[in-house]
Amino acid sequence: MITIEGLCKDYGPRIAIRDLTFEVRQGEVLGFLGPNGAGKTTTMKIITAFMPPTSGRVSVMGFDTVKDSLKARSCIGYLPENNPLYNDLKVESFLAFAAGAKGLKSNRRRERVKEVIQACGLEEVGGRVIGRLSKGFRQRVGLAQALINDPPVLVLDEPTIGLDPKQIYEIRHLIKDVARDRTIVLSSHILPEVSQLCDRVAIINKGGIVAIDRPENLTTGLREHTSITVRVGRDSAEAARVIGAQDGVVKVVPAEDGLLTIDTGRDTDLRPAIVRQLVAADIDVYEITRRDLSLEEIFMRLITEEASDA
Amino acid sequence: MRSLFVKELRLYFTAPIFYAVACVFLIIAGIFFSNAMIRESMFASQIAQYQMNMPVGLTEIVIQPLFDGISLLMLFLVPLFSMRLLAEEKASGTIELLFTYPLTDITLVAAKYLAGLTVLVILIACTGAYMGILAFLSPIDWGVVISSYTGLVLLAGSFLAVGLFASSLTKNQIIAASASFGLILIFWAMGGLSEHLSSGLTSKVITELALLTHLSSFLKGILVLKDAAYYVFFSLFFLALTVSVLESRRWRG
Repeated sequence: MITIEGLCKDYGPRIAIRDLTFEVRQGEVLGFLGPNGAGKTTTMKIITAFMPPTSGRVSVMGFDTVKDSLKARSCIGYLPENNPLYNDLKVESFLAFAAGAKGLKSNRRRERVKEVIQACGLEEVGGRVIGRLSKGFRQRVGLAQALINDPPVLVLDEPTIGLDPKQIYEIRHLIKDVARDRTIVLSSHILPEVSQLCDRVAIINKGGIVAIDRPENLTTGLREHTSITVRVGRDSAEAARVIGAQDGVVKVVPAEDGLLTIDTGRDTDLRPAIVRQLVAADIDVYEITRRDLSLEEIFMRLITEEASDA
Repeated sequence: MRSLFVKELRLYFTAPIFYAVACVFLIIAGIFFSNAMIRESMFASQIAQYQMNMPVGLTEIVIQPLFDGISLLMLFLVPLFSMRLLAEEKASGTIELLFTYPLTDITLVAAKYLAGLTVLVILIACTGAYMGILAFLSPIDWGVVISSYTGLVLLAGSFLAVGLFASSLTKNQIIAASASFGLILIFWAMGGLSEHLSSGLTSKVITELALLTHLSSFLKGILVLKDAAYYVFFSLFFLALTVSVLESRRWRG
């Protein structure tokens, strides 16, 4: 559980984040979405008590990250951007070090190292030097050190950056696995990733939150029309005429091979009505889907709106 | 604290620089030892020849010059040992892990200092072999040997504290090494400066501040509390500076 109130951070004259206020609820996965330089990493570095805010406050599990820094830090597992690791150490000795540094009792350490090695799929590289591991394995080691003290809060800065598609898939799975009983903040600029992993998404741009909501609410909340695509068997011109006669349909655009794109009013779902009309007119329907605005489109829309405001 | 200490030691012994520097140290210390031994034997034969009545003690001719030499070597080598301690963490970004683990800055500095000191003690202890050789040839004054080693470890500890401080200021290891070398040299050179000053308060202060002034009593086999205290406070002073440099991130932002 993380509470952020009126958070500001300046780097000299440059304002990195301004007046950020939001809450990450218990057990929730919150995604930070934003272009490079929007303030994602800065916010995460303040949450993890790596640096202090210029003003405002952050509390993690009820501990203020400045006044109660040590207690706040012991509740957090952090995977920093670029995943810095001790390249000269072996995976096992590094994890043993992390366990000790995070205050695990020595009799628990060995056991816990084994557990995270298993949880993060590091069995085959446990005895290898970190500097010689592939990027995917390095990322797992980074995640393993974050998890070593079984923290209630995880902060992951760009956990899948620079990985190949298979590794991305594996890391996402791993994150989903560990997300079950934890509060997680993760940043990314890969939009599908955020919509897959996160319960809520905060879109941040130029140091401020532009929107924060569930991914599905973001995608429905911002569109002006609901878009429906239909694939019919033959004669799309006839189908277009039939659909166009239906109440609530704003626009019908027929395309090749029987595909039609229909814009309707935003709050109604006309799919059943359209299917009924088409069947009544003896037209075969192969496929009908409602297309939501993708997160990507919303993201671009919000970011560009912001830019035109300024 | 302990796991941090163990990690530092591990990193020391996996990095090639340790072996390179240790190698150079032992070779040069060996040369110093051979020199002293040759001088001793020449001296002894001259005395025998002219039947002079002079002390030909091993302490004055072998042991003291050897420790003088080793203390000079430390001046050059400790900065190379200490440069990576914090600068490397900063350059590789692992400092971000340390700063977000539930560790206090004092623990961090103490663990790094003690790990560095352990390595230096191991290195210094290697020269014990020379004392063994001497003791095998003729009886030696173990009191002097023990007090010299005490002095040497205290001196090395002071150098290390300066080095750790320099390493906290930068992420560039070369700059860290140069800065600590420079700082140590300033405190070293003060000793020479005081000789040319008229006796007065300034001269007294400079003499007392100089690093080497306080070593001579140890090398003579006398344990003076004041001199031991000087090294301890000197080290603590630079360690406290290091802690405040680390803490400055909280208010510098």
